[in-house]
Amino acid sequence: MTAARTPWNIRVAPYLFVLPNMLIFGVFTIWPAINNVTISAYDSTNGRTFTYAGTSNYTELVRSADFWAAARATAIFAVCFVVLCTIGAIGLALLLDRRLRGRGAFRAIFFLPVLLSPVVVGLIWGWILDRRNGLANTLLGADVPWLVDGRLAMAAVVFVGLWTHLGFYALIILAGLQGIDPNHHAAAMIDGASAWQRLRYITLPLLRPTTMVVVILSMIAGFQAFDFIWTLTGGGPIGATTLMVQYIYQNAFQSPIRYGLAAAGSVILFCTVFGLTLINVLLDRRPA
Amino acid sequence: MSTWRSATGRRPPATGQVLAYTLLIALSLVVLVPIVWAVLSSFKTQAELAARPPSPLPASFAPTNYTEALRTFDFGVYLRNSVVVTVAATALTLVINTMAAYGLAKYNFRGRTVLFLVTLGTIMIPLQVILISVYEVAADLGLVNSLWGLIIPPAATPTGVFLLRQYMLGLPDELIEAARIDGAGEFRTFVRIIVPLCAPPLAVLAIFSVIWRWNDFLWPLIISQDQDKYTLPVALAQFDGQLVVPFNYILAMSVVSMIPVIVIFLVLQRHITRGIAATGLR
Repeated sequence: MTAARTPWNIRVAPYLFVLPNMLIFGVFTIWPAINNVTISAYDSTNGRTFTYAGTSNYTELVRSADFWAAARATAIFAVCFVVLCTIGAIGLALLLDRRLRGRGAFRAIFFLPVLLSPVVVGLIWGWILDRRNGLANTLLGADVPWLVDGRLAMAAVVFVGLWTHLGFYALIILAGLQGIDPNHHAAAMIDGASAWQRLRYITLPLLRPTTMVVVILSMIAGFQAFDFIWTLTGGGPIGATTLMVQYIYQNAFQSPIRYGLAAAGSVILFCTVFGLTLINVLLDRRPA
Repeated sequence: MSTWRSATGRRPPATGQVLAYTLLIALSLVVLVPIVWAVLSSFKTQAELAARPPSPLPASFAPTNYTEALRTFDFGVYLRNSVVVTVAATALTLVINTMAAYGLAKYNFRGRTVLFLVTLGTIMIPLQVILISVYEVAADLGLVNSLWGLIIPPAATPTGVFLLRQYMLGLPDELIEAARIDGAGEFRTFVRIIVPLCAPPLAVLAIFSVIWRWNDFLWPLIISQDQDKYTLPVALAQFDGQLVVPFNYILAMSVVSMIPVIVIFLVLQRHITRGIAATGLR
């Protein structure tokens, strides 16, 4: 069918179908993404008078101890989260892939936290880890300052992050495991390969694309963590668990309001996530 | 291999199996105990919550916390806001994502590739990193402090378009051509023929949209500035730690907020697991 003979209604129809979605997309994602860079070049007093500031927001960020504290906390959280999520998800998926009674029930149980509101997850864990009155210390018969000590609080934040997301990533790995041709394993068994050798030389290499999906998704999630931390630690103690998104939120919406500074922070965050994702994708393309 | 057979004809469990069960049961407890503990405690009085050591079961299973929380603290309003936003936003998402996916999957038009790539690219631009400028746009359009501000902006999800488009590519073009020959208009073909065939991915997207919107926090936190526009997660977070709202009420409303997604999950479990397995959707 040539373009000239295509009836007008068929030529117009696709644009009408795409329009509503693209309109909302454009207005609430694409335009703000571009505009964000512009805002980062302006300074404002409590979100009103904007004055052009060039790159001064960026230089201010780089000199700010709070920014580096948030960047450091984000890096620690993201690295721990990605590594533990990936290893944990592979481990859990291998367990769930076995022939077990109640396999469906186990899968449902591990998926349960994925469904819960992160706010509720943070609330419940904050209450369980409460130093004086919490279930954790009651069960342990100990007096561990879970959310009072900075390092323990970071560990708690990582743990609760894992608790929430592990089931989801394990499910993705499980799907990958089930896509592996069982003949590979059968052949290796005939050749006398041990269970460990089969895992090391067959399962893990064949699982690499799926593992990559988990690494990328958990990395993006790790850099965006905010909601459950907000109710678990509030970013404390003394900023120990204040990650980048919370830092941006506080600059943008809590007094003193610094839109430009927050926007500069979000440009940096975006470039970091984008850059790291790109590196991951490129590494994945490289022949093994 | 052992030739031993038990009386029931089954082989004795291998150490690997025993280890697997032990690990899985231990991990299940780590997942379940906090949730069950929260649900049980949501029936306790303030005094029982403060008791040391805490008793596992509440003194009575009276729904006092629930009724009192709804009566005293406008939790009914937050619950209603959450329901309205979740239902409306999910409906809007399904309609516009399906239309866009159909346009991208089944028509050859100028700009198609660009639009599709832009859609895919925006998966990488989450709200968190463009927060301020999205807020600016919403403020300019008068969407701040209105439920519309919670419904419209997050409706055009790139993941939904992508998922539906992939599925539609698999539908035969002959169906559409046959409908055209029969004289059906483009929109009619879409509604009568394509939409019914897309039930599986639509179910997955519907479930995910409900989970996303129901649990969403950052965007509602920014948009809902007056208490009467709060959704449940925002209300729970804002009231947490305030002495005026006792923690037993917070727990009760947390449990209320868990119920819808858990019910939806249990009913549609198979669609979810299959859908995630097929797409790696998030």
